[in-house]
Amino acid sequence: MLKFEKRENIPLHLRILIPLISILLGVLIGGIAVMFSQVNPLTVYKAIFIGAFGSTYVFSETIVVAIPLLLISVGLILVFKMNYWNIGAYGQYIMGAIFCTYFALNSAETMSRPILLMMMCIAGMVGGALWALIPAALKAYWKVNEVITTLLLNYIALYILKFLMYGPWRNPRSFGFPLTKIFDLNAQLPKLISHTRIHLGLIFGIIAAIIIWIIIKKTKFGYEIRVIGENEIAARYAGINIAKNIILAMIISGGLAGLAGMAQISGIIHMLQIEINPDYGYTAIIVAWLSGLNALTAMIVSFFLGGLFAGASQIQITMKVPIGIVGLIESSILFFLLGGAILTNYKLYYKGRKII
Amino acid sequence: MRPDAYAITIILLAATVESGTILLFPIIGEIFTERSGILNLGIEGMMIIGALVGFATAFMTGQIYWAFFMGMLAGGLASLIHAFISITLRGNQVVSGLALSIFGLGVTNFYGQEFVNLQLAHTIPQVIIPGLSQIPFFGPILFKQDYMVYLSYILVIITWFILFKTKAGIQLRAVGQNAQAADAMGVNVYKVRYFWTFFGGLMAGAGGAYLTLNCAPFWLDGITAGRGWVAIALVIFARWNPPYALIGAYLFGAINALQFQLQSMGTTIPSALLSMQPYFLTFILIIVATLLVKAKHIGVPKELGIPYAREEK
Repeated sequence: MLKFEKRENIPLHLRILIPLISILLGVLIGGIAVMFSQVNPLTVYKAIFIGAFGSTYVFSETIVVAIPLLLISVGLILVFKMNYWNIGAYGQYIMGAIFCTYFALNSAETMSRPILLMMMCIAGMVGGALWALIPAALKAYWKVNEVITTLLLNYIALYILKFLMYGPWRNPRSFGFPLTKIFDLNAQLPKLISHTRIHLGLIFGIIAAIIIWIIIKKTKFGYEIRVIGENEIAARYAGINIAKNIILAMIISGGLAGLAGMAQISGIIHMLQIEINPDYGYTAIIVAWLSGLNALTAMIVSFFLGGLFAGASQIQITMKVPIGIVGLIESSILFFLLGGAILTNYKLYYKGRKII
Repeated sequence: MRPDAYAITIILLAATVESGTILLFPIIGEIFTERSGILNLGIEGMMIIGALVGFATAFMTGQIYWAFFMGMLAGGLASLIHAFISITLRGNQVVSGLALSIFGLGVTNFYGQEFVNLQLAHTIPQVIIPGLSQIPFFGPILFKQDYMVYLSYILVIITWFILFKTKAGIQLRAVGQNAQAADAMGVNVYKVRYFWTFFGGLMAGAGGAYLTLNCAPFWLDGITAGRGWVAIALVIFARWNPPYALIGAYLFGAINALQFQLQSMGTTIPSALLSMQPYFLTFILIIVATLLVKAKHIGVPKELGIPYAREEK
């Protein structure tokens, strides 16, 4: 019979192999799903690959998607490390976009470009952080389940955005469409590379990943977070202020999600509208988990999932393959990764013989 | 009360019951899943799978009750993914549940494409109960509904009975409170958890199917619109007790029916703010419920979210 025995140390080869095998199996499941709709999965995957990495331009589009994924996921890593949950990046992202739009619409003429962009970044972070502070405080002081509150706040944020776009912020010259006016050049994040849409947000993302990595590995705050994540009761006995850490981690996480929202509308969309891709907030959860809660690994994973998304967006147009394929593949990868964790946590014996 | 105001109240409350029934099924299901110690955040995913399978079956066969059953079954099958990962493989239940929701939304977007904007010719037929429907005020609200609504009434009573008055209920609660002790008593922890997780999936599928077979008889991407998350919040509001689930579900149903009514009457309140209300109400409810649960020491199932590993005794 199968028997499990707890592992003390996780061997490095398993730590690398399991995510890789999970990705392969997830892609396989996606392929089977595609077969059911009478499309050749090899054709689809080839098209996704070419659509993600096949030319300089699509390659740059992959990076464009990776930017918000990276910014959001490294913030989530901080919260997840603590074994707390922020499922509200979707709403925090929207709030960041809304807050920074206020400055883009009202201060574009009075501020110079660097000052305005700085104000927009700060506003974006404040918007996201405030939206994360609500569930964080509710969790820290009243123990209200943060999974549910962050999720519900996503819907509330979405309707606030809709209210603004169908009401006070709708551009009177947009022929009734729920759009603001196009941002002045002053309010647009500068491009990093010409002839692409890659913007300054990429630098924000890389800096954020490095800072989060340093916070977790090298600071007292990071140490406390890891202790809470491993054993909350022990952390409490050790005198660690759990409420303070929850709030701080959530504010940072929300702030980064808000910054991602700001970067997306200031760097890519150049106006506020209803469709501003807040779903990145959910995909970033997968990035965080797939990277093993390591902020530096999140850079690679963001790029990979960015490619999947960019490639799938292409085939949605060219081959009429619905975009849901992305969620299908992503969730399948997650299932295998979660299931595979048993092999990293346990040694497996079959009839007394060690298999793995 | 003017007669037309009376009539509108009746219509509103009847709509409340209908809209609440969508949630009542999944709330009851999740109560049992959580009571067994398994947290399944995949309700949104299982509901939308049930919604699409129910809709597609009804669209292709015209058999509305068969469609309801198929939607329910699809939700149950989807829950087995979560059961396998969290019970057998002891994986992280929070992430697995979220993955199940992402899976449901993705898979229904993928396979639902050909049904977008199609409508059902017939919804679940109204079945007026003779006698009971004649009761003034309550009759037309509660007993001019359909079989699924009546099923939900019965379900509340039966599940309450199972939970508190039967051996299965005792075993279920024991597993959720202290799996090791339950195991020592000879209860098969894994079997109990598999069974009630599957039941939770069936109920989520039923809720989803009821949505597309009755309340919104068409197919749109993401049609469940967060009701699965609301259901999870209302489980806490219900304090893991089926009769209270009724209150939570109908409160949500009421505010949903009211905002619809206001929108169709052409109110000046912006529609985005009206549509927000059900989520806002749930947000307030979860805070209040948490404080109440804490004050009265009615705890969550103690082993909620903790995997059980038998050989580590």
